[in-house]
Amino acid sequence: MKKIVKTLFAGAMAFSLVACSNGGEAEGGSDTPATTDEGYKIAVVTDVGQLMDKGFNQGTYEGAQAYADAHGISMKYYQPANGSDATDNDRIDAMKQAVENGAEVIVTPGFLQATAIEAVAKENPDVKFVFVDGWAMGMDNVTAIVYKEQESGYFAGYAAVKEGYTKLGFTGGGGGANPAVNRYGYGFVQGASAAATEEGVDVTIKYSYKYGETFSASTELQTQIAGWYANGTEVVFACGGSMFQSVLSAAAEYENAKIIGVDVDQSGESSKVITSAMKGLSASVEQVLGQFYDGKWDTELADVAQNLGAADDGTGLPTDTWSMTNFSVDDYKALFDKVASGELTPSADVPADANNGDWLKGIDHVTVEFE
Amino acid sequence: MIFILQKTLIFTIPLLIVALAGMFAERSGIINIALDGIMIFGAFIGAVVAFNLRKNVPFFVDHNQLLFIVCMLAAALAGAIFSFLLSFSAIKFRANQTIGGTALNLLAPAIALFLIKVFTAKDQMEMGMAVDSAGGRHDFSFVISNGNLPDFLKIFFDKTYISTFVCIILFIILSVFMYKTKTGLRIRACGENPQAADSVGINVYKMRYLGTTISGALAGLGGYVYIATVANGTASGAVAGMGFLALAIMIFGNWNPTGIALGSLMFGFLKCLSVVYSQFAFTKNLGLPMYFYNIIPYLAVLIVLAFSAGKSRAPKAEGIPYDKGQR
Repeated sequence: MKKIVKTLFAGAMAFSLVACSNGGEAEGGSDTPATTDEGYKIAVVTDVGQLMDKGFNQGTYEGAQAYADAHGISMKYYQPANGSDATDNDRIDAMKQAVENGAEVIVTPGFLQATAIEAVAKENPDVKFVFVDGWAMGMDNVTAIVYKEQESGYFAGYAAVKEGYTKLGFTGGGGGANPAVNRYGYGFVQGASAAATEEGVDVTIKYSYKYGETFSASTELQTQIAGWYANGTEVVFACGGSMFQSVLSAAAEYENAKIIGVDVDQSGESSKVITSAMKGLSASVEQVLGQFYDGKWDTELADVAQNLGAADDGTGLPTDTWSMTNFSVDDYKALFDKVASGELTPSADVPADANNGDWLKGIDHVTVEFE
Repeated sequence: MIFILQKTLIFTIPLLIVALAGMFAERSGIINIALDGIMIFGAFIGAVVAFNLRKNVPFFVDHNQLLFIVCMLAAALAGAIFSFLLSFSAIKFRANQTIGGTALNLLAPAIALFLIKVFTAKDQMEMGMAVDSAGGRHDFSFVISNGNLPDFLKIFFDKTYISTFVCIILFIILSVFMYKTKTGLRIRACGENPQAADSVGINVYKMRYLGTTISGALAGLGGYVYIATVANGTASGAVAGMGFLALAIMIFGNWNPTGIALGSLMFGFLKCLSVVYSQFAFTKNLGLPMYFYNIIPYLAVLIVLAFSAGKSRAPKAEGIPYDKGQR
């Protein structure tokens, strides 16, 4: 009997080893008619947070995937090791692995990847890098896409107040050091202020970077947001990838609690989402890949930073899934045109470390309660 | 104020049931350091069951609370099965229980995360939006709202979960079972003096298997309750050390239900305070950094254990494999 059990155990161990080694290879995935002997030509190296975060990483990935699928180009994503605690070395390893696997163009969302891109791009001048949320680095094989997040935030804040909400909340990822998140937040406050001034109401905004430094959902964040809802906050702008899940769980406990999504249209995730402050991640990644494969890299993209806003359809709210009633699609379009034409320019003047309430003081008709 | 009491209750329940789980194992003589791992495993299985039933069976979306109970049962079953790894190695092979438990703690998050990544390409498993039989869309939530009650009743019956009542009832029944039934007495005897128990014809192995299995079931159940009520409704291969906190509560509670209930309430409150302190004028105006509040529950564990260590009455035979030949 003992012998049999021992053999079984040994067998199970061996099996689990095999299973593990398979697991290693399964990391990352390809969804394309891959020509494996030539490797994966398009690579996406993700930011902190997970790939399917319903937001930033996912939006970028889907753009690349759409292009790859449409043109039959092989593609693979890479998640730097150590997940939310990934270091520059982890990102460099992921990018090098992408290069080794035959990548021609690497899409790298997230400003945290700057150091890694700089290192790998210098070593591999033939590989092109698309730096989403980044900046031009003085290298011909790097192109950057930046968005005017303050415009999306402005639309969302304006819409929420016009819809009749006066107690708002903003919870942002990155601990106050992520420029894109800060621009969203600042735009949100400005939009709320503009609408409040027009309506002659006073708006309070609870504003926090406390939980969500790594853009992940957490018990702490859920309880904090539940506290906001319990104290009367009506709608919370969940600004940061998987943090949405925490806000959603908190909102589930309060019947009238509402959420504003971020980066992509998140209305499919919950009926509590009134709108989403979007940026055109998928579309612009797809477009840049198109330009690259049309041979226009050197003329149009090399060492260029595109700053996309409403005028380029880079920012906005989703009109297909509109659910607000007091603030209509037409109202929104009028506002959108103002911003797109440059008549109205939300400020993007955010401090490098925004994790304090000082820079949000003295805004008309808005009291920011910083936590 | 009501808010913090409601939240304290929600934080307390998983601790309560998992600390009781620890008690059942240790009272039978098996150190169950694997509570955390079993919680993770139970939470994962519960989430898988919830995800699939919500997606494929509209009946359960209509009957949300029934689904919760089914998921709790699934999590308990998963926990019980998972704990066999511990009891088998500890009882059958007389392996070191601490090391066996640690192995389970390492194994559970690995299994859960691996499967979640393979099947969802995410780091966490969400229970997702579901469609009921009438075509309405529902977010994932098991919460029961009763906004119109007077304040005192609100604490227990507003924004509450059916798991709260299930766990409290289970806690009472199992405490009575442990102290007032023949089997309960036998389990306790095996943890104190298995040789004596054996000499009067009690099957020590059987009792220890029973204790550990009940322990596993409760820990698995507690794990799912934790993620469904406290932790974003997602299984993520971690329960924020709640299993270890429960272990500490069990020791603090001197391996008996009354102590465990008090300890859970205290730590539930401290744990809750660490995340809601900024909602109250008094604690907010103290101006202490949030890390201070995050530290409190764990600091309290150390302090309380240091002071109560002298009075601690651990089951005498816990951690010692029973060997019939050494009688």
